[in-house]
Amino acid sequence: MAITTFTSGQVLTAAQMNAVQGNDYNQTVSTKTASYTLVAADKGTRVVMNSASSTTITVNTSLFAAGDTLVLQNIGAGVCTVTAGTATVSSAGPLAIPQYGSGTLYFTSAGAAIYFPSAVTAATVSSGLVVVKAETAFSAVSSFTADNVFTSSYTNYLILIKFANTSDATLNLQFRAATTTTTTNYNYNGYQMTSTTAASYGYNASQSSLRLAQTGGSSVIGYCQANIYSPQIAEQTGLIATNLRFDASYASPLAQGTTGNQNSSTQFDGFIVSTSAGTTTGSYTVYGYAKTV
Amino acid sequence: MALKINDNGVTRDMTADEQAAYKAFQTDTAAETEAQNKALVAKKAAQKAVLDKLGLTADEASALLG
Repeated sequence: MAITTFTSGQVLTAAQMNAVQGNDYNQTVSTKTASYTLVAADKGTRVVMNSASSTTITVNTSLFAAGDTLVLQNIGAGVCTVTAGTATVSSAGPLAIPQYGSGTLYFTSAGAAIYFPSAVTAATVSSGLVVVKAETAFSAVSSFTADNVFTSSYTNYLILIKFANTSDATLNLQFRAATTTTTTNYNYNGYQMTSTTAASYGYNASQSSLRLAQTGGSSVIGYCQANIYSPQIAEQTGLIATNLRFDASYASPLAQGTTGNQNSSTQFDGFIVSTSAGTTTGSYTVYGYAKTV
Repeated sequence: MALKINDNGVTRDMTADEQAAYKAFQTDTAAETEAQNKALVAKKAAQKAVLDKLGLTADEASALLG
């Protein structure tokens, strides 16, 4: 039952006591099928939204007191958004309640509330690594391109490549803007290690591409991860890449790392990877690093 | 045989322009790799000259420098 005010000298009935107790163990529920504005009688209850369309729950001032609490829940397909009317509503999490989500609304004063969402949040993926180009296979090609993968949605990107080359060669990266490949102003340095040797291949300025990987021949499998920094920002584009490959008998690992940039303010939206000799077979995936939690 | 490109997920023959760009890439990369290798060889030769002057082997120099 909704909260009831008992007066001095009033005789409580068993039904009233059971109802009061019942709310502790079987909370009073009021189901709404359209947007709803909270009323004072909702204090201590569970307001359940059930609508296929988007709805709102509006919170106004002077209806609740400090310490008042109620539960907001959504079982409908439409997202319900907790909305500040004349009261203020603060939250560390989203105010949107997805289907089967819920949260607690806690008043700190008559005009201010804090919404504590449950762990379930709206389905929009906004954190972590977000796939911007699904795993794409390539077979016996000299180059592969990925256009329109760098956007203003993300600042930095991760490219994962699996490759196997017919020749002992290099895989090189060049950036693209509107499908036009940039072939100048690449600068990089790096290292190469085997089980017995380690060598720098020095600083190489004004190159035509960035070296991503040393492939090895005989179609041995290798892996490369390339972090791309700020390709869509009008400043230099950075690269930090590492790669690993084994020989044909999965021995003699060779690791290589490259750090470099494309030193212009061009805003790139894609890239091309080419092998310096032979052809390459494998797959790649492009991820964006989310900018917010 | 025509060179192949995987263009945003679709494998096809390179166009004439793409083939020309790829050939230019190969030429540039080969020249750059050769220059890098020459620089490495020159660096190693310079290191060896210093070691010879000091009468040390490369292993002894590594042990010395850690």
